Amino acid sequence: MDIITARDLTVGYGRTEVLRDLAFAIPEGLITAVVGVSGSGKSTLLKTLAGLLPPLGGGFEFAGSPVDYRSEASLGRLYARIGVLYQDGALLNGLSLYENVALPVRMHYPELPEAVVRDMVHAGLAQVEMAGSAEKFPSELSGGMRKRGALARALVLDPHVVFCDEPSSGLDPITSRLLDDLLLRLKESFKMTLVVVTHELRSIERVADRVLLLNDGGLRYAGDYADLAASDDGFIRTFFLRKGHHDDA
Amino acid sequence: MSETASTPGPSEILRLPKRLRAAELVAVLGDLGRRSGDGPVILDFRDVEEFDSATLAFLGHLSDCQPGVSAANVPEALARAEAAFARRPDVCWPEKPAAPPSGTRSSRFFQAMADRFLARVRALGMFLAMFGDEVFHIGRYLRRRRGVYPGETWNQMFFMGYLSFPIVCLLLFLVGVTISITSAEQLRIFGAEVYIADLVGYAMLRELVPLMTGVILAGKVGAAVTAELASMTVLEEVDALRTMGVVPERFLMVPRLIAITLVVPLLVAMADVAGIFGGVVVARVTFGMLPSAFIDQMLNTVDWTDFAWGLIKTVVFGWAVVVGAGFKGLTVGRSAEEVGRATTQSVVLSITMIIVIDCIFAFVLY
Ligand SMILES: Nc1ncnc2c1ncn2[C@@H]1O[C@H](COP(=O)(O)OP(=O)(O)OP(=O)(O)O)[C@@H](O)[C@H]1O
Ligand SMILES: [Mg+2]
Repeated sequence: MDIITARDLTVGYGRTEVLRDLAFAIPEGLITAVVGVSGSGKSTLLKTLAGLLPPLGGGFEFAGSPVDYRSEASLGRLYARIGVLYQDGALLNGLSLYENVALPVRMHYPELPEAVVRDMVHAGLAQVEMAGSAEKFPSELSGGMRKRGALARALVLDPHVVFCDEPSSGLDPITSRLLDDLLLRLKESFKMTLVVVTHELRSIERVADRVLLLNDGGLRYAGDYADLAASDDGFIRTFFLRKGHHDDA
Repeated sequence: MSETASTPGPSEILRLPKRLRAAELVAVLGDLGRRSGDGPVILDFRDVEEFDSATLAFLGHLSDCQPGVSAANVPEALARAEAAFARRPDVCWPEKPAAPPSGTRSSRFFQAMADRFLARVRALGMFLAMFGDEVFHIGRYLRRRRGVYPGETWNQMFFMGYLSFPIVCLLLFLVGVTISITSAEQLRIFGAEVYIADLVGYAMLRELVPLMTGVILAGKVGAAVTAELASMTVLEEVDALRTMGVVPERFLMVPRLIAITLVVPLLVAMADVAGIFGGVVVARVTFGMLPSAFIDQMLNTVDWTDFAWGLIKTVVFGWAVVVGAGFKGLTVGRSAEEVGRATTQSVVLSITMIIVIDCIFAFVLY
């Protein structure tokens, strides 16, 4: 089953079209990697799929029904089922990390007792190894810590689909591996769908089932990661000039 | 250039120095410009060993930028570097001819004016829509008690009160002193000293307290709200709220609007007292009028409706300030410098709205 299907989707800002006439599907329960050179429109595409940036043309379906940017109800249904990790984290600076992660819980389930909220937040922070920094404010965290905290916030309500904009950029190899393992665990134990923008070839290799490769205002490749090796497209070969894959083969 | 020697002949030859970086290149360009004849010039590059990207760009554009000037004896190192350098622009800047501006200069001017005017009209429409939305959000919040961070309204009240109480009291006291001193002289001429109480009381309650409080709110609370919301927008915090299913227009604005509605009455009461106290002090010092006599006299003209109207006006000003500030903050662009610009614009917008609304009140009330 495809959770997201885009048809003739054109995304961009105002009169600037960044990506034109995209057609792709994102299958449910798998990890899709969105890749492309810097400035190719990965974040822009993610913003449109997350209900933040109206498409300039075409549209997409989420869980079988078209997303209507003019209808608050339609966007609300979308927001209720997604979690987003922003490129720079976007934690609220006025709240502690704990309160940041608790925020979605408090807003959607104001009736939950504080003890339950506390357990949810601590579990969420523990899975990104941030439990020790719960009382710190975003300004007191490093870039990578902010990002992990933001991931905990995106996951705290168990969304169906998680969009991650460069989850492992700015992280050391060990933490980055930890994050990859977390993504795989989310997929396997919660059947979550993950859409991950990333530049890390090693991380793509480890986690990605599917790949959307953006280039030159369009989609260069959309398909299984495993099929990339067979491609004889020069750009694809350059982009994925990889050691690991050849070793496997 | 000391090393440049020109040889007479059919074309002038300019021998370039060993070191030809941007600084030397400027000197060479100067020489070329000052050249007397307009025959062809040959630049002899044979000695050039040190060069930088300006040299490479110059060499690449020699034929189109400097008619009649050509290069000779380009050393191989330089030629290779130029070839490598020249390929870069093709990658970075695909040829995109700028659309030639159409129409005459004046028609372009009017077109630009019309565009700006339309943009303003659209912004005004968005602002009014936001005003309506906020009323709706407050209604929703008061009925369902959802969508706002718990305790945020209290935080905002303390914050707004903390920002504005001291300065409102101080400034209104000074305004009270100032208008009593200026009017005391006139009143003495007519022997109508006692009416200073009526004058100060009426002017303060009806006009000066609302106006001054509104302007101070615009400068302190409005600017703070815009700066905060604009930086949240730029840092994608507002987007983050939205995808969490939290409506930023409610989550961020409702606590601030409720807070301003509750803070303003306290502010107005304090400001009225401070302003009238200024009048009492002046009356005591200049006419020896007792404070109790001042109050008695004032209550002859001024009654609670004056206080109520002043209060209503100030609440409306407070709303205009907060909605205007929120509008400017949430519609900011995407760069840090726009945060500063939005803050300035928010203060100007708020003060303009306050004066316009005050004028409308004056027409309606008198
Ligand atoms: N707010 C904006 N307004 C107008 N154009 C924008 C805006 N944000 C980005 N762009 C443009 O859209 C294009 C795609 O930007 P985007 O941020 O999606 O790139 P990206 O693929 O995420 O790059 P990176 O890997 O560096 O994050 C860029 O050319 C950029 O100039
Ligand atoms: Mg990006």
